[in-house]
Amino acid sequence: MGQKKNDKEEVSLFSILKSDFSSGLNDSAYEQEENKLNQALLERPSFSVKARLTLAFFILFLVSATISITAMIINSRIKKGIQLVTLADKFANEIQHVRRIEKNYFLYGSDLSEVSQHLDNAQQFLERASFELGHDIGSIELGEINHYLGGYRLLSDSLIKGGNIKDFMESKEYQEIAVRLRDYGSKMLETSLDISKKERQFIFSATENSRRIILILIAVFLFFSIFIASHIYKHIITRLNRLMVATQQFASGDFLPITPKRKYRDEFSLLVIALNHMMYELDKRQQLLIESHRLRAIGNLTAGVAHELNNPINNIILTAEVLKDGFGELSKAEIKDAINDLVNQGERAQQIVKNLLDYARESETQSDYLYINEILEETVQLVKNQIKLSKISLEENYRKTLSPIYGDRKLLVQVFLNLILNAIDAMPKGGNIILDVTESKQTGFLSVTITDTGTGISDHILNSIFNPFFTTKPTGQGTGLGLAVSRGIIEKHGGSISVKSSQGVGTTFTVHLPTVPIPADIKDKSD
Amino acid sequence: MAKRKYKLCIIDDEVVVCKRLQQFFTKAKYEVETFVDSKSAAERISEVRFDVVVTDIRMDNIDGMEILSLVQKKGEPTKVIMITGYATIEIAREAQAKGAFDFISKPFRPQELLKVIEKATKELENSGTKEE
Repeated sequence: MGQKKNDKEEVSLFSILKSDFSSGLNDSAYEQEENKLNQALLERPSFSVKARLTLAFFILFLVSATISITAMIINSRIKKGIQLVTLADKFANEIQHVRRIEKNYFLYGSDLSEVSQHLDNAQQFLERASFELGHDIGSIELGEINHYLGGYRLLSDSLIKGGNIKDFMESKEYQEIAVRLRDYGSKMLETSLDISKKERQFIFSATENSRRIILILIAVFLFFSIFIASHIYKHIITRLNRLMVATQQFASGDFLPITPKRKYRDEFSLLVIALNHMMYELDKRQQLLIESHRLRAIGNLTAGVAHELNNPINNIILTAEVLKDGFGELSKAEIKDAINDLVNQGERAQQIVKNLLDYARESETQSDYLYINEILEETVQLVKNQIKLSKISLEENYRKTLSPIYGDRKLLVQVFLNLILNAIDAMPKGGNIILDVTESKQTGFLSVTITDTGTGISDHILNSIFNPFFTTKPTGQGTGLGLAVSRGIIEKHGGSISVKSSQGVGTTFTVHLPTVPIPADIKDKSD
Repeated sequence: MAKRKYKLCIIDDEVVVCKRLQQFFTKAKYEVETFVDSKSAAERISEVRFDVVVTDIRMDNIDGMEILSLVQKKGEPTKVIMITGYATIEIAREAQAKGAFDFISKPFRPQELLKVIEKATKELENSGTKEE
């Protein structure tokens, strides 16, 4: 409410004007409605578009970071694997040397001491492997190899040492050592080749996996991109479209506020509140325009009413004068006749004023089920003096059995009043006005045509006549708002208004209005 | 003043106007014919010579201006007095320019119309065109 106070001050001038018009537009009613709607819009829990997008992008980041880190881990594992394979191959190479020397030693009795060099090399590779690869990969196998290597070294040392002892070769101990040495040698070679083979297999499958991960990453990205795009579409584009449709509706005079449709409130909610406020302001201004134009129409009608009113007044004065003048001489019947005339003429004057006053006084805008014929009859009652005065004949062709329409009686009367007054203005030398009511070609609509035999409207201004402030009448006579206001009213009723004219022949205005199915209680509602 | 009864024709589509003026001017010693329907009035005018024709301007079928030109066409010195409503004063001035004797605006008292008619008959006498 506090925020509204400023607005209220701004429109206070209009409020004063409006109360002068004895208008039914109630500012506080408008405000109440608007506040209620604002509350409904703001009451929802907040989940802003910014938060949604931030969340979505954060999830995307997390997922892709996880995948990337996995890929990096796999990558470094492959790197280590390659190192292991290299070292294992080198190790195997050294061991193969060792085994050749060993073979020569056993077959030809050549020098065995050469093995220690190769064993040192192998030991180095082994140490490098466990140093560089840590305990992650093949630590069991390396431990085994280390064990065999250590054993081999010891055995080969004891063989070299045993070479100095006689008959060592024939001893049982030599035989045992020889068997164990061969066994260790072959196991070392086997294990290192095994490591190499296994690791190669691992590298192959890991490379395969990392390729798969890239594909998965692409798929995840695609999925999230689609998700975020659809989210943006759902929360931004469709909202923008909805708001665009709403503003177009506002522009065409369809003043229905935008209502909350989503569970959460966000940045758009504030925009919706601003738009709704604009709509209420527009509606108020439009009402004001209609109101001021209605007063103008009443002004136009007063000439006819004043003229028409002179007749019963004249009759009353003449009758009263005759009564006064010849009071003694008149017969009882004559006096009675004169008094009857006085009463009748008084009533006649009252009736003339009554229609106009009804129209002028009425201020509540309210919608109801209405029959178009009744609207037109009411309008004709208002303009009939003007028509008579302008030597115009009126032809009324109403279809009797038309469905009712739903709308505001006063506003619709204003439209037809305006159209008929325009027709009168178009025929300063008299002519015909034909009112036709028919079912429209478009189902669910009826059409009212108002045809005059006036001067017509030339083609080049025909397109502008519905524009506000466009007028062909001399300054001071027309506001140029009549047709603009009329179109606003008709569009507000979901209808349309169109014009056809040929110069020198006349003009036809056609009003299309939607009909409604007759509800059971229509008889009660349209009293 | 009036040695003979002047013939008065009153045309107004208001019945009450005709009725009361009939009563009033009959009492004022005029020979009065009233017409609610201007068409039958026009027929009567072509048959009979009136001294003064009082006609409303705004009427269906034949209006006051047509009555005026009808009277003028006959070439008789008949005086035509127009009755105007609120919105027809312009037409009344136009009628005067075209030769109507005077106009009287609604609402009026019968005495006012009587004065105008007396002025007209006086002019008729003065111009010496009074016959019989």
